[in-house]
Amino acid sequence: MIGGLFIYNHKGEVLISRVYRDDIGRNAVDAFRVNVIHARQQVRSPVTNIARTSFFHVKRSNIWLAAVTKQNVNAAMVFEFLYKMCDVMAAYFGKISEENIKNNFVLIYELLDEILDFGYPQNSETGALKTFITQQGIKSQTKEEQSQITSQVTGQIGWRREGIKYRRNELFLDVLESVNLLMSPQGQVLSAHVSGRVVMKSYLSGMPECKFGMNDKIVIEKQGKGTADETSKSGKQSIAIDDCTFHQCVRLSKFDSERSISFIPPDGEFELMRYRTTKDIILPFRVIPLVREVGRTKLEVKVVIKSNFKPSLLAQKIEVRIPTPLNTSGVQVICMKGKAKYKASENAIVWKIKRMAGMKESQISAEIELLPTNDKKKWARPPISMNFEVWQKRSLDPWRVC
Amino acid sequence: MPYLGSEDVVKELKKALCNPHVQADRLRYRNVIQRVIRHMTQGLDMSGVFMEMVKASATVDIVQKKLVYLYMCTYAPLKPDLALLAINTLCKDCSDPNPMVRGLALRSMCSLRMPGVQEYIQQPILNGLRDKASYVRRVAVLGCAKMHNLHGDSEVDGALVNELYSLLRDQDPIVVVNCLRSLEEILKQEGGVVINKPIAHHLLNRMPKLDQWGQAEVLNFLLRYQPRSEEELFDILNLLDSFLKSSSPGVVMGATKLFLILAKKFPHVQTDVLVQVKGPLLAACSSESRELCFAALCHVRQILHSLPGHFSSHYKKFFCSYSEPHYIKLQKVEVLCELVNDENVQQVLEELRGYCTDVSADFAQAAIFAIGGIARTYTDQCVQILTELLGLRQEHITTVVVQTFRDLVWLCPQCTEAVCQALPGCEENIQDSEGKQALIWLLGVHGERIPNAPYVLEDFVENVKSETFPAVKMELLTALLRLFLCRPAECQDMLGRLLHYCIEEEKDMAVRDRGLFYYRLLLAGIDEVKRILCSPKSDPSLGLLEDQAERPVNSWASDFNTLVPVYGKARWAAISKYQGAEHRGPELPNTASFASSGPLIPEEHKETVQEPDSGALMLVPNCQLTAEYFEKTWFSLKVAHQQVFPWKGAVHPDTLQMALQVVNIQTIAMSRAGAHPWKAYLSAQDDTGCLFLTELLLEPENSEMQISVKQNEPRTETLNGFISVLETVLGTIGDIKS
Repeated sequence: MIGGLFIYNHKGEVLISRVYRDDIGRNAVDAFRVNVIHARQQVRSPVTNIARTSFFHVKRSNIWLAAVTKQNVNAAMVFEFLYKMCDVMAAYFGKISEENIKNNFVLIYELLDEILDFGYPQNSETGALKTFITQQGIKSQTKEEQSQITSQVTGQIGWRREGIKYRRNELFLDVLESVNLLMSPQGQVLSAHVSGRVVMKSYLSGMPECKFGMNDKIVIEKQGKGTADETSKSGKQSIAIDDCTFHQCVRLSKFDSERSISFIPPDGEFELMRYRTTKDIILPFRVIPLVREVGRTKLEVKVVIKSNFKPSLLAQKIEVRIPTPLNTSGVQVICMKGKAKYKASENAIVWKIKRMAGMKESQISAEIELLPTNDKKKWARPPISMNFEVWQKRSLDPWRVC
Repeated sequence: MPYLGSEDVVKELKKALCNPHVQADRLRYRNVIQRVIRHMTQGLDMSGVFMEMVKASATVDIVQKKLVYLYMCTYAPLKPDLALLAINTLCKDCSDPNPMVRGLALRSMCSLRMPGVQEYIQQPILNGLRDKASYVRRVAVLGCAKMHNLHGDSEVDGALVNELYSLLRDQDPIVVVNCLRSLEEILKQEGGVVINKPIAHHLLNRMPKLDQWGQAEVLNFLLRYQPRSEEELFDILNLLDSFLKSSSPGVVMGATKLFLILAKKFPHVQTDVLVQVKGPLLAACSSESRELCFAALCHVRQILHSLPGHFSSHYKKFFCSYSEPHYIKLQKVEVLCELVNDENVQQVLEELRGYCTDVSADFAQAAIFAIGGIARTYTDQCVQILTELLGLRQEHITTVVVQTFRDLVWLCPQCTEAVCQALPGCEENIQDSEGKQALIWLLGVHGERIPNAPYVLEDFVENVKSETFPAVKMELLTALLRLFLCRPAECQDMLGRLLHYCIEEEKDMAVRDRGLFYYRLLLAGIDEVKRILCSPKSDPSLGLLEDQAERPVNSWASDFNTLVPVYGKARWAAISKYQGAEHRGPELPNTASFASSGPLIPEEHKETVQEPDSGALMLVPNCQLTAEYFEKTWFSLKVAHQQVFPWKGAVHPDTLQMALQVVNIQTIAMSRAGAHPWKAYLSAQDDTGCLFLTELLLEPENSEMQISVKQNEPRTETLNGFISVLETVLGTIGDIKS
């Protein structure tokens, strides 16, 4: 159970403080600020013990959220709760920032009241919470709404309230995949995995029953090695998934037997499914950097990017960010394609390309002038980051909605 | 944060709250209240406007109500007399037609935390338990726990407990979970909520309907249930199988723990479970949620202690990436150090070598220590890497490498030669105390193999005046004396100088004493010195063995999914040791301007109230008697007390057994429901070891239960105590039925 929940800004000022249990004193708020937020060293662990009280913290941009307890709780659950709290807040007022929190101060207290009682998590589904949180608040509720609360909470389905009506029934499905890659300094891929999320936005009336089919190319790898062998036999057509998890609303028994996902969706946006795969990952781009230090005050950087996908596809809005040392005084950039600019405030050269087809190559070279410093510390050489969009119709994802 | 001028703020707000114009305008009124709450959040003492806030609670604006109630819950302990004024409004709200208002009022009323509030909340809670809106029931159920917390020393209300037990069958999943939580708190002293077979099976069936928090909680409660047969055990495990693949890592870990505990006698099942959760754990370890990743890594380390090879093929998953926070990198390095085996050692060492030159000195040092750890098994490769690192001539690297060498030479004497060759030259790059000590120790112990050892030590002797760390001087004394024994010609002169300095000029007492000690030892003759300094060491290989002993899964299964793996066992033991002595120990630095912190009835009082009363009876939980032993004792003793108790109708053995369990009375044997005559044999033991054996007899024709109690030590006061406990239980059970 959670004894209290505090939200601080980056300076350690308390924005929200809510204590649920007697064993957490008022001074706990200050203890965390002094020992963690104002501590000189780096954060050593997201779980801190101060005077036998455990503080679990999560940072979102420059906001600290801390849950406090004296009990021997399970850490994963507390963190999950904090994430959920962030999600719920984000669903109500967007990005979690100091300004948003200050402006929605009342709302957050209302939420904290509903989500936790006596330190125990209660209802935390955004959709269901909407019934209890009255943002305008002034109007007393109508008879109809009152009966809704009664029925909603007696109902079997915790994540959806009854009597939702839309003029137009709409359903949006996004498959968001992020490729995580670890590469050795020699350019060898050490490990890679794709973590994907199927996010659904549903605006449907009543209690709709949705069905979601997968084509049979999908092989979900169970623990045994048998399936893995089958995958290799059936050739490249199959798509292997290492593990996948579903939202609570999905009936898992049907998934196991019929390979169809059937569910009654919550209202609004939610994450239907999450999956992870480690097989056959083709990297869409390769970035090859060359850095040469010419004397103490000059640095030559050359970066080549190669697109590694089918020539028929097009990558858009490519943005490459090349970090520069802190003591940079001037930069000259030459690039063959796109536009590049040195942004002193961000300590980086930003190179933007509007479009790039597959199997192409492009390069940028820059000369960086440095101010001489006494600082003996080496430059950390932070990694180059890159953003892009590839739009694909149908062919990429194996999902099909019935 | 005590603010200057807080009185002015209070005065101003008070004026605004009283202003009828503000009161008339809802939005302005609410704004003023918001300001009060904001100041309260910042730690300003706002109890001055309590009266005005109580008035503000009488409104139709729900948001305003919520804010005012929040305020009242914070300050009620400071102003108990004023808070009583608010009770009226709250009671009225408890019967509002809107379930949300009812729930809100009930929740706030239960959180008031002031003495004397119990009598007002009891009735609303009981009404709430039977409310038709489950929203109110949820609140009421937890309200029972809050009420019990307020009472502190009061006895457990049997009727309430029974009501809560029956609410476990409620339709609403959250009510069910709240019931468990509430019962757990109320029955804390009796060992918590009892999970018997019907309850366990009921909960198992409801599991899929619960949300993730509920599932995690129920999994935790189910740990307490002991299946009767092997068949039942495997049925339960099959039911729980799907939770190992839940989308919530907390539920996955909870389910894993339950599996490990239930299958404690089946090691193959345990191993199988750990294989099954490998995927989800790895997914959590590489998830974007850093903190969750940290928690998962801690558990991976725990598993590795028992199954060293478990994650070996996935070693690449534990390579650090640039953008990860410090704490994750450190954990990953530890994991890498533990999963190393013949196949991956090359790659892992290669990766760790890369970390050694990281810009963050902390991380680099952790990586070097990790290589040192691996060196205990793969000595040659590691020593080579470490030697190469010395070539970088970086201060923070050299000092850690030398420390690693010191430990390594002790544990793996076969690498001494290589270490001795690497050492010359590194004295120039060591500045800190730990590193110097390690180097000096190495030079002293293995000085005969390092040609320039006396000259290096000579430098230290030359600069001893400017040396700031006493520990280094002590180490220097010992090392030089050791070296003197094997290379006397080169050392005699400087040993004399060092001893002279330590005895005559040194200010630190410990160093001076050691200097004097060695001086006198030398006076006693060189053989004596040899006998003392070169006495046999403890067997180094023992330390190595002890360190790597595999721990069985069962040794940590009960700690899995708690804070123990996160903090480490030793640290957790230190933390929890003081938990009992909480109130006497040093508290958090008290900078808050007012002291509403302590609970109204501190927990320790609960115990002290009971303890001094020597006649009071304390029944020990889990006193298990075998039926044979019971029978033998029963026939050997005389009846100490016999009485009859009014009883109507039949007996429900299950209910009775559960109720008796609550007060730590064990049932040895019992007739079936509806049997004539109906009999039951009970046993209990108090903290002094006195046994109470009881027979309950219900004759079909009389409406009376005959109670006969036997005691193995004749003591009337405890006997009376026991009988009154028994009477209470029987009375409660009888009441419910009628």
